[in-house]
Amino acid sequence: MAEHYSSFTKGGRLWFVQRLTAAFLVIVLAFHFFLLHFVNHADEVTFLMSQARMRNLTYYSLMILFLFTATFHGVNGVYNALVNQGLTGTKRKVTKWTLVAASIVLLVQGVRTANAWAGGVPL
Amino acid sequence: MWAWIFHKFTGWVLVGYLFTHIAVLSTAIPAASADPSTLAASGDIYTQTIVTLEELLLVRMLEVGLLAVAVFHILNGLRLLLVDLGIGLESQDKSFYASVMLTGAITVASVPTFLAGAL
Repeated sequence: MAEHYSSFTKGGRLWFVQRLTAAFLVIVLAFHFFLLHFVNHADEVTFLMSQARMRNLTYYSLMILFLFTATFHGVNGVYNALVNQGLTGTKRKVTKWTLVAASIVLLVQGVRTANAWAGGVPL
Repeated sequence: MWAWIFHKFTGWVLVGYLFTHIAVLSTAIPAASADPSTLAASGDIYTQTIVTLEELLLVRMLEVGLLAVAVFHILNGLRLLLVDLGIGLESQDKSFYASVMLTGAITVASVPTFLAGAL
């Protein structure tokens, strides 16, 4: 049997949330790629087409949830990989809060973009 | 160990792409205030940015690479979820090779779709 490698301590809270977001992202990332590259082709994208999709509350909600889970999963993955490589002390704290700040910027910009298409939350 | 290294590498690429992706899509913010005739004629900054990028063969090739990275991360992620649930512990190496081969097959099969109109 091959050895089991992981950047996470199995059973921890972050490990569990990482796995939970992974289960969601497996489906939504595949859907996102399929819809925007195979059903609709990327070179045919227009603002109005993107707007039509984002004005649908179900699609808008899914994309917002996708943004939040992908950001958490990605940034938490990077943080754990760095900790796993031996990041400790002040460097660890600075890295953690830099990643938190970068995540907030990404989330704010992502929501602003979604709202620009949808004209606000499409209720 | 190779599965772990590949998973980390593809994870780094995907998180880097996520930030780039949102930066490019952010051109929709100024585009939203363009007048309706400009939007109807696809003359807004968002549409023009995407169209200009998609005209570049390099961008299309990078998209194929992104697909390969995403497919491997998804398939290997599924494998990890199953292993964490105690399923397939004895055939971890075989399922890793299957993930690599399936990633290759899906990527090669997707090349015509990704390069259409760019050659």
